[in-house]
Amino acid sequence: MTETVTVRVQRYRPEEDTAPWEQSFEVPYSEDLSILDALNQIKDQQDPTLSHRWSCRMAICGSCGVMVNNEPKLSCKTFLRDYREQAAVTVRALDNFPIERDLVSDISGFIDHLETVQPWLIRSEEQPVSAGAYPQTPEQMQRYAAFSQCINCGLCYAACPQFGRDPAFLGPGALALAQRYNLDSRDEGAAQRMQWLNAGEGVWSCTFVGYCSEVCPKDVDPAAAINRGKVASDINYAVNLLNILRGKDDA
Amino acid sequence: MHKPYIQRQRADWWLRNPAYRRYMLREATALPLFLYTLLLMSGLFQFTRGEAAFLQWLEMLRSPWLLALHGLALAAALFHAVTWIALVPKILVIDTDRLRVSPAAVKLAHQVGAVVCNAGLLLLAVLLLRAAAGN
Repeated sequence: MTETVTVRVQRYRPEEDTAPWEQSFEVPYSEDLSILDALNQIKDQQDPTLSHRWSCRMAICGSCGVMVNNEPKLSCKTFLRDYREQAAVTVRALDNFPIERDLVSDISGFIDHLETVQPWLIRSEEQPVSAGAYPQTPEQMQRYAAFSQCINCGLCYAACPQFGRDPAFLGPGALALAQRYNLDSRDEGAAQRMQWLNAGEGVWSCTFVGYCSEVCPKDVDPAAAINRGKVASDINYAVNLLNILRGKDDA
Repeated sequence: MHKPYIQRQRADWWLRNPAYRRYMLREATALPLFLYTLLLMSGLFQFTRGEAAFLQWLEMLRSPWLLALHGLALAAALFHAVTWIALVPKILVIDTDRLRVSPAAVKLAHQVGAVVCNAGLLLLAVLLLRAAAGN
């Protein structure tokens, strides 16, 4: 007889349910079975009404984020073998986001925050395409490389109690992305993005819980990015204050 | 049909995960320091009321409860300082074309600075005590 594992899956069917509930499934166990494989097994063999998001199966697309035993995880990168000691594995939709259906979250608030910080190269004067690429040395690239690895999976938002308290907070992913462009030698948009760092919903809403960096599947370290943003915001404040004292415009 | 379920943050969110509990422990180090500050301020107040009141306050400090508070406040301050300085190299990144300082050096500079400041304060206290004894 095949060994099985109990997987408890959160269900929420907007047509019938007023609140999420839990359904247990027995999944045939194997050493290389990921949580995503288990969810696909349930959907294909046991209950086709289960809804969950996935695409690449290799931690690149960022679609399959869920809570596994209360921790934000990519289901494709999390394996049942690591939960053998526990009686059951519980899979829920990501914390802090509205639940659309079963394990499917509505992450549009997070996507809006990403757009807010203007995550593209801003130049004071665009050079024509014929002038070629903007050159950059490997050392210059290294300064923002880690922050550019984000796959927009939203795990850091599920990990952030400040975002849970106030969804207007721009949050770890968006503020790390702002830092990624501010640190790019080809970019000249730091002054434009400063209004978002300085805003009430910006870096100062972060209290450095640091869990966002622990759960990030791509080692982006958003907590470091946000708190470096606080240093930049402090310097900006001091410079503005000095300019006002000297009778200049603060902008 | 579009009827998303809105998840509300639970009041006990910080108890539900070891990472949150560590964070709250660090935040809670402010509480013994707050009590210690109140104690110091009460001492200052007694000082303004005259010698007898101040000596009585000094006598009160010998109570085991207040000694325990001092120990707790010291432990809390040390825990906060050590964990804070451990995080500094992530935030204070000095890496420009002209100047580059390694994260280890940034951390060491903060550790040395903290030790020098604390030793300096201790030395000042000892010198003041000696001067007072000399009079």
